[in-house]
Amino acid sequence: MSVQPKQRALAPILALALVLCASPICATLAVASDDAGKKKADEACAACHGPEGNKPNTPETPRLGGQQYGYLVQALNDYRNGTRDNPVMSAMAKPLTEKEIRELAGYFSHQQGLTTKR
Amino acid sequence: MNKRYGLLAVSVTTALVLSASAWAGGDPARGQARAQMCEGCHGIADYRTAYPQVYPVPKIGEQQAAYIVKALQDYKTGVRKHLTMRGIAATLSDQDMADLAAYYAGETRK
Repeated sequence: MSVQPKQRALAPILALALVLCASPICATLAVASDDAGKKKADEACAACHGPEGNKPNTPETPRLGGQQYGYLVQALNDYRNGTRDNPVMSAMAKPLTEKEIRELAGYFSHQQGLTTKR
Repeated sequence: MNKRYGLLAVSVTTALVLSASAWAGGDPARGQARAQMCEGCHGIADYRTAYPQVYPVPKIGEQQAAYIVKALQDYKTGVRKHLTMRGIAATLSDQDMADLAAYYAGETRK
């Protein structure tokens, strides 16, 4: 299969995009949103889940540090829309925006803590 | 003590003992032996569910034992709705749940 001229023209752009994503620019963006996530987490989550989501206040409260980003987004959305029901978490999740959910999930998923154990 | 308060105290104590025994008696070695049913999803880094929604399964290593027991109970009773987890939790006894939770929480046998 031959490479179309149009595809050839796209190649440098794709390469540039890849280089940019590996550069500190993307890292800075990730850190910026983790800062927002940390602020919200300290305000809204830490009282029960502990700092960095790693010191829950009751045995039945889960650790969140290191949890999968996509699972946290799913859980918060499930609480927000009522699919998952817990008196505390339903109330906490209801006022969150989608952006806040992504920031919180990003922040907790970047902390040390939970592991994939086998 | 008033008789009614006595009865209340007995019920509260019983409830506390029962809820504590739901997670206090886990044997991590037995849990590890039963964990094959979990490893197919939870033992693979970044494994994703395929149905009904696509998202990564949670990491459960080092999770709190009592939370794992509660999650399994909630799947068994249908409070939590994931179909696969509901099917798996339905096969587990209270003791199985405590054992699995002790294993994943990283507890060592006292």
